[in-house]
Amino acid sequence: MAHIVLVALAGLTYLLVLGPIVIVLITAFSPTDFFVFPPPGLSLRWFAAFFNTDSLRDAFVRSIQIALTSAFLATILGSMAALFVARRKGFLASLLQTLFLAPLIFPAIVLGLALLLFFKLIGGMPEFIGLVLAHSILGMPFVIRAVSASLLAVDPVLEEASQSLRAGPLRTFGLITLPLIWPGILSGAMFAFILSFGELNTALFLTGPGVTTLPIEIFSYLQFQGGQLVIAAASAVQVGMIAVMVVILERLVGLSRVVRSN
Amino acid sequence: MADGFRLTRRWAALALLAPPLAVFLMFFVAPLVSLFWVSFHAPSQTELFGAELTVEHYATIFTDPFYHTIILRTLSTGGVILLLCLVLGYATAYVLAPLPQRQRLFLLLLLVVPLMVSNVVRAYGWIAILGRQGLINSLLRDTGLIDRPLLLLNSFEAVSFGLMTILLPYMVISVANALNAIDVQYREAAQSLRANPFKTFVHVTWPLSSPGVASGMLLVFLLTLSAYVTITLLGGPRMKLLVSLVFDAVGAFRWPLAAAISFVLLALALAISALILVVLRPQRVQGRG
Repeated sequence: MAHIVLVALAGLTYLLVLGPIVIVLITAFSPTDFFVFPPPGLSLRWFAAFFNTDSLRDAFVRSIQIALTSAFLATILGSMAALFVARRKGFLASLLQTLFLAPLIFPAIVLGLALLLFFKLIGGMPEFIGLVLAHSILGMPFVIRAVSASLLAVDPVLEEASQSLRAGPLRTFGLITLPLIWPGILSGAMFAFILSFGELNTALFLTGPGVTTLPIEIFSYLQFQGGQLVIAAASAVQVGMIAVMVVILERLVGLSRVVRSN
Repeated sequence: MADGFRLTRRWAALALLAPPLAVFLMFFVAPLVSLFWVSFHAPSQTELFGAELTVEHYATIFTDPFYHTIILRTLSTGGVILLLCLVLGYATAYVLAPLPQRQRLFLLLLLVVPLMVSNVVRAYGWIAILGRQGLINSLLRDTGLIDRPLLLLNSFEAVSFGLMTILLPYMVISVANALNAIDVQYREAAQSLRANPFKTFVHVTWPLSSPGVASGMLLVFLLTLSAYVTITLLGGPRMKLLVSLVFDAVGAFRWPLAAAISFVLLALALAISALILVVLRPQRVQGRG
């Protein structure tokens, strides 16, 4: 009896988490002018409308540019931080670790406001660069966790062997460490991309007129023009990108790492 | 040779740390420090903030009944969300725990992927379901149960419920990881001592899973505080939480007030996090070998 209740609650969880996304995905293929569920047929007209609407297409392209740039920065900086922090013990290392992982739980809305004000105080910052910086800070913890997990799996004996053969730190890294940890680096980069591609809280403050991201553009459509079906298509494009990334990630580092990284 | 080797290693380590640390100090620590500094300044018509120092913004927040209402509403929204997430999330993780590895991971992946989808898309899904022309209203109208659409959005319930479903996967995953780390021997030991399933749960499984419950609850509550977009889309213009006031203050160019509300929000985050840790005492599990 107790077990039936538990299974029912678990089923409810899946319904509540997946239901809204599935409905948006199905609606995106609707041939009708307004929301009808289930749609009477299938069509791609709202996807065509999405790519023919300048503001949406521009936001989509800019979101990809920002996600690529910030993921690149987060990967470089996060890998460096992980290489320094991961295998060190002691007060300083754990303090640094706490600092670098803080954005995972820090209310991003406060960071967004702080950055906006800070950029104004130092005399201005182009929106694109401001967004890239904010998303790099938010993406770094994901890279650090992915790279640290890979690093801790590397047997230090291999690096010691390389050093005993008089390879310097750089050669040892390039020949031994990097080939062993690259799946971690790549998966960290993809998590950083995914985070930036859907991020709202700092983007709310840091986007400006003419420079918005896709999630912010969807938000302002919903707020000011109602839920037109072109927004369902925009949302489906968002979900589709994520789905492709997840499939690649699964191939790259396996299911258990994908699940544990959140 | 030995000295030279050590030297290059030390420089290499510093060269590794310097760039990420510099970026963090410049674009994470410094902005927060200056935000804190701004929160103690008088407002100004022409500049971002006035010259004189003041605690008036904090005083307003602590004395004005309007802010009390909003803070209480924020806390009760968070409380409802935490409670529902705990029940649904724990039950789900508990059902998943005994499944074979591959099946369990796949079912968890189905909950992780929605976390990667932008919250605005997930909130839109709830608008499509609960809205005036949404799924529920059209179903009820077609079956003739109602003539006029029910107003399901723009309410405390819509925000709490919608936001709960958006954050629920975090709870499931945290608890599932904790349950997965529990050694089966503990449960077997309890059963061999003739503890019934209920007693085994209360004295063994629940305490051992408390770190997962604590981290899930922390994450859910902290993300609730920040979820401006979801709150605005599902709650409408009237159902404001603390985070909405930050935006209202920025919209009115009252930067010092916005800064002060942000730090009250942070204080609230810290206080509730501490409360969760005190109640669940996850640290008592860490001694297990």
